[in-house]
Amino acid sequence: MSVLARSMSSLPRSRGRLGWGRLGIVAVLIAAAVATLAPFLWLFVSSLKTEADIFAKPLSALHAPTLTNYASLFQQFHFAVATLNSVAISIGVVVISVTLGGLAAYGFSRYPFAGSRLLLTGLLITRMITPAALVVPLYLIMNALGLLNSLISIILGIAVLNLPFVIWVLRPFFDTVPHEIEEAGLIDGLSPLGVFWRIALRLAAPGLVTVALLSFIAGWTDLLFPMSFTTTPDATPLTSGLLQMQTGYKIYWGSLMAGGVYITLPTLILSFALQKYLIQGMRLGY
Amino acid sequence: MNAARKLPPSLAGEGRGGAVTVSHPGSRRDRVLARIFHRSLPQGRARARRLTGLGLALPALIFVFAFMVYPVASLLLLSFQEYSPLRSAVTSFAGLANYVWLVGSDLVHQSIWVTVVFTAASVAIEMVIGLAIAVLLAKLVVELRSRPGRLLTGLLGGVFILPFATPAVAGAIAWKTLLHPQFGPVDALLHTDIAWFAQFPLASVIVADAWKMMPFVLFLMFAAVLSIEPEQYEAARLDGANGWQEFRYLTFPLILPVVAVTAAFRAVDAFTKIFDTVFVTTGGGPATDTQVFPLLIWRTTFDYLNFGHASALAVVAIIVSALLGVSLLAIRRASST
Repeated sequence: MSVLARSMSSLPRSRGRLGWGRLGIVAVLIAAAVATLAPFLWLFVSSLKTEADIFAKPLSALHAPTLTNYASLFQQFHFAVATLNSVAISIGVVVISVTLGGLAAYGFSRYPFAGSRLLLTGLLITRMITPAALVVPLYLIMNALGLLNSLISIILGIAVLNLPFVIWVLRPFFDTVPHEIEEAGLIDGLSPLGVFWRIALRLAAPGLVTVALLSFIAGWTDLLFPMSFTTTPDATPLTSGLLQMQTGYKIYWGSLMAGGVYITLPTLILSFALQKYLIQGMRLGY
Repeated sequence: MNAARKLPPSLAGEGRGGAVTVSHPGSRRDRVLARIFHRSLPQGRARARRLTGLGLALPALIFVFAFMVYPVASLLLLSFQEYSPLRSAVTSFAGLANYVWLVGSDLVHQSIWVTVVFTAASVAIEMVIGLAIAVLLAKLVVELRSRPGRLLTGLLGGVFILPFATPAVAGAIAWKTLLHPQFGPVDALLHTDIAWFAQFPLASVIVADAWKMMPFVLFLMFAAVLSIEPEQYEAARLDGANGWQEFRYLTFPLILPVVAVTAAFRAVDAFTKIFDTVFVTTGGGPATDTQVFPLLIWRTTFDYLNFGHASALAVVAIIVSALLGVSLLAIRRASST
């Protein structure tokens, strides 16, 4: 702190000018923040209007906020079931990704084997695969396995695209765990799996939070697989459920807006709460 | 790999002596040590380590093989077959017919062109805005170290992450609302009644996607800018550099490698993965004006129900993805050295 203060005081001539410059920066950033926030804020405010008000007075302030649009989600559009389905899909993706991905990342980090570098590179390249391209053959496979119209097919599809990403993000976390601690564990009679479970996982916990968060978001937000693999409400999550509000002849705008807000809230809350991990994931995952 | 070398010195000394069991016959630790050193010669131990690695990776590898490698292989086979489930449940060998169709189809050409334009524009917008905000935000974070200052920058950071945290489906609905000709605030403010997603479909889709992905660029750039040593700025300031010169001659050259990798990554990502935003806003229309490549594959599969054509398209998409992935790796490697 004192070093910083001294270095600042060595630049007295720029003090005042910097003050104005700083104010300008703050103004620009606040304007940018408002613009960034605007689409979602507008969606939220509109979702509290009645359908008639949405059309009648686009720019009017919110007179009598109402939750009817939110109620209609559950009364008209099966959102209770859809919410459960979305939760189940997200948890399924998290469990598969973190379990398989965690083991593999640990193996790649600690016990490199012949060809493991090549496999890792291959995994990075599979991350670039067009998900829509995988849908065609996966659809036929799921059909053959009798898994269409079930949540399992959706979970498997999302998880297999997510897994390489998880391995890629998690491996550096295991790299930073000191070897000595694990060696000590091995000598104390733990098996490699025991070391993984009792030592490495705990020390790489921030990485696990990061990949669990990103896997959850991947499962929660996916539209492609539900839309391709299911047609029954029983296996429809929120994303594809939302689209049923825009049919060919009518768009239920009020419900659509409320649904948009509803589906965003969980990821929004998680992202704010775990912002540090999300940003870490962005940085490591690319 | 010598086993003894990996141990703490005190233990390693004992181990090399090979007399562990003799000197301390009772303790468990020593029995284990003895087992490790007597039974596993260095080579055997190295092999055991390799097998452990393979064993740990195996579940994931099997999973990826079953649901990614095998499907892609079957895709390749399917692309040489005629298969339209609506017309006939039987597949028949079609030779290169699907690929011939693909090369000659205007639909495909248009789709590729739309995807290229979309990618270039969206990434360009994200990079410029993301970089600008990142540089300004980093400047503020460095200069405002007081409590309210930190609160402000923290709050701004929280706001800027919002689009990234919004599911693409919800973001698309927000933009549909925003740009609606009858009740959208954009038209109301401009006193126009433009149906943006119908009259300027590609531009509208690009804006919606750039909004969604801008935070990704922003936070990567932000971290890169913050990693620059403050002394370098002081030197520049003492030399009388103004804000723009500081950016142009100091910040930008220093973060250029990160800028290049981020732009390349985003371009590959946008090109191969754009789907949700387009599907929800324009559905690829009007007509096929915004039918990006992933959407074309999907429509060929589920709307036109031509699995043979779809497979050929998917194979092309995968080859392009792989090439882009490899070049991305090359760019990463080049920029990190």
